[in-house]
Formats: sequence, C-alpha cells, structure tokens
Amino acid sequence: MPDAKALVLDEAVLAELKETTGDDPAFVRDLIETYLADVPVQLEGIDGAIAASDADALVRPAHTLKSSSVTLGAMRLGEISRTLEMTGRSGALDTAARGNADAAHAEWRAVHEALNAWLAEQASQ
Amino acid sequence: MSDRGTALVVDDSSVNRRLLVKRLQTLGLDVLEAENGAQGLAVLAANPGVIDVVLLDVVMPELDGYQTLAAMKADDAMRHIPVLVVSSVEELDSVVRCIELGATDYLTKPINPSILAARIDASLAAKRLHDLEQESLERQTALNRTIQRQKEELSRFLSPQVAALVSSPEGEQLLAGHRREITVAFCDLRGFTHFAEQSDPEEIFGVLAEYHRMMGEAITEHGGTLEHFAGDGVMIFFNDPVPQDDHVERAVRMAVAMRTRFSELASVWHQRGYELGFGVGIAVGYATLGRIGYDGRHDYGAIGNVTILASRLSSQAQAGQILLSPRAQVMIEGLVESEDIGELMLKGLTRPVQATNVVALR
Repeated sequence: MPDAKALVLDEAVLAELKETTGDDPAFVRDLIETYLADVPVQLEGIDGAIAASDADALVRPAHTLKSSSVTLGAMRLGEISRTLEMTGRSGALDTAARGNADAAHAEWRAVHEALNAWLAEQASQ
Repeated sequence: MSDRGTALVVDDSSVNRRLLVKRLQTLGLDVLEAENGAQGLAVLAANPGVIDVVLLDVVMPELDGYQTLAAMKADDAMRHIPVLVVSSVEELDSVVRCIELGATDYLTKPINPSILAARIDASLAAKRLHDLEQESLERQTALNRTIQRQKEELSRFLSPQVAALVSSPEGEQLLAGHRREITVAFCDLRGFTHFAEQSDPEEIFGVLAEYHRMMGEAITEHGGTLEHFAGDGVMIFFNDPVPQDDHVERAVRMAVAMRTRFSELASVWHQRGYELGFGVGIAVGYATLGRIGYDGRHDYGAIGNVTILASRLSSQAQAGQILLSPRAQVMIEGLVESEDIGELMLKGLTRPVQATNVVALR
C-alpha cells in the first residue's frame, strides 16, 4: 500500500465520506464542487502573501487549503499546504515558499483532474 | 426543532463547515452556521437559549477562535454553552490554550464521525445538566424568595418571637403546647366604638395605623409577644416563648410607655375631633401556650384565666388607667407608685378583684 500522504487523491477517504454522511451521493458531489470552487481562492491568497512577503497572511489560506484538501483525500496537496502554513507560522518566508506555492498549483491541477474523474466514475455507477 | 438540540458551526472553510453541518444533521441536530467568530457571536446573540453546543474553528478571519471563545466566556448568556474546538493535529498547543480559555473539548480535523458523535453526546448531556441545574436553581431561588417573603409577612403579622419560633428547631415542641407563668397586658381604646360609628373607614384605618405603630414600637422595645390585634384591642404577653425573669416589670414599663405616647397621639386626634382614651389591664398567672386553631389557620395563643382577667381589667380601666391584678401588684410593688381602685366585679368572674392603678414608675 502506498504512503497515503503521497496520494493525489485517496479514494478511500471519499468512500468513507460517502458512507458516513448517509450514502448521499449528491452531498459528496456538492462538497467536492465547493472545494473545487474554493481552492483557487486559497491559492490566490497564498500567492498574494508570498508576493507581499507577508508570513502572517500566508497562514490562513494555507491552513484552509490544508484542512479541506485532507478532508477530501487530496493528501499531497494537504501536505504541501501544511508546509506552507508552517512557513507562515514561523514568521519568516524562506526561499522554499515560492517553490512550495508552485508545487501547490501543480498539485491542484492533478487533484482537480482526479476529483473530476472520481465524480464521473460515481455518476456512471 | 430537533429534540436532540441545536449546534452552531463556526468555520471559515466552506468545505469543512458544510461537512460538519452534514455530520451534525446526521446525528439528529439542528445546525446554524457562521463563517467567522464575529458572525458566530452574532448568531449566538440572535438565538438566546437556542444553541446547545458550538463547534469552533481556531484559525479564522475577522475574529479567530480564541477571541470568540473569550467573548463567549465573558457573556453571562453564552458562558455555559459547551464549545468544541475544531483544529488540526499541528495545533495541539492552541487546543491547550482554548481549553484554558474555557473550551469543553476538542476535535481534530479531519473529523472522525464516531469521535464527533461521542463529543456531541457528552456536550449535550453537560448542557442538559446545566440547564436542569439552572432550572432547579431558579426554582430554588423562587422558593427561597417565597419563603423569605412569607417569613417577612409572618413577622409582620406575628410577633417576631413567634415568627422566629416557627422556623426554629425547638419550635415544634413549644408550638405543641406548654404551661408557663406569664404576664398578660391587654390594651384597648375608650371611645373607639363611638368613633368608629362616626367616622369614615379611611379615618378609622388611619387612626388604627398610628395607634398600632406606636403600640408596636413599645411592644418591640420591651420584648413583648404580640398575641393579636383585634381592632382597638391588643393583647401582649411576656415570658413566652422567650423566658423573661422580669416579665411583670416589662409589661408595666411597656404600658406606662404606651400611655405616655398615647397622650401625644390623643392630643393630635383631639384637634381633629376624635376623643379617644387608652386603658390597660395587666394580670399574672399560668396559661397554656401554643398553637391554637385548625388546619390551615393557626395562632400562637395563650389560654388561661390570666388572659381573661387582663382583658376584663382593661375593659374596666378608665382612660389613662393601667389596672393591675392583685398578683401583678404584689410582684411589681416597690417599682411603681400605685393607687388602690378597690374591688371590681368583673364579667364572668364570680369573686370581686382587688385592682390597683399604676400612677407612675418609681
């Protein structure tokens, strides 16, 4: 079994989510759509904070991106966001911050694709 | 409205908030939502008594979890509502801070549904217990207030000694009835019946109120036990329920004080055209004291010839006279200047009674 933290999308998380919210496919779909709409807002916040070299401003968008990603099984994006959040909390933006933000953008594209694929698969069932 | 209760979810992440709302609804709760602490406080304030538990995110814009928690704990109407802090594993130090600020417990994200269910159960139970305690406290407070008011009313209606007796541990025994030597003073007004016939009820009550106030002060000063007011008639006894070695002297001093103060009242009344005089009868003897009456309505009373004797002497007294029974006279001799009134035939008594009038204290 691969390291769950390394997964673009841990489908077990989505399966559990579906099961524990009363097997309501519409709800999980809504939740994913909410997430898909929210992530760009948080990525924008992250970019803005780094551009402004504002460590404090990095914490909240990175934190929100981290927890919502983990909630939906986007483990690697969650992990990258966690690193960004920690950087923000440390109070000083290091040189790696921009690189991590770029990694978040790249990971986001993969997550987006994986979630859409998952939704399509659910719809076809 | 759900039977289980109402939760408020305060979280700026719409994904997490929606999921938490869904999970809580699955647990059978009604759920209100807020996107940040400031909104959360506004929802709490707008729904007084509705919210049973708050799920609070820590990292939020506007007002974060700490500030929200601090504001809740500073508000009497919100302080008791259980707060579950929702945080990520990395934030365990902030959880400690939240618990110190008064949070009930915490949940880590992503939220495990079983742990959520357990924490919610515990919080709702705690809230219910608090509400019940609050209710019972309110009932207790209301009861205490009623008791206090009844006591105050009692002490207004009864003499303070009897009111104290009713609520004292040895009271029951004394109330059950006991025999003791007492001094009874019976006072009433000369000319009252005539005055009452001629006057408006308001005037009569006004005069009685002044008279009773004056009497009440003198009774309290001398430690008398007021048995009852009956219109212008007032019966006071001494040496019961609180024992008083000098009970005869107290009764006589009280009667003299009343007579002095009455003359001041009477001169005012005289100017208004009321002609009222004051007479007292004082007797000493054994009586049975205790609760007299029937279910729902009792007096603390004295039964014995001594009360009849005092009453009859009072009705024979001229305005300004304080008539002593022979036994009272013997016990007080030397303390007062008295004059012999001679033998009086008193209603209901077969033998004449040798009465003396107290002229002054020595």
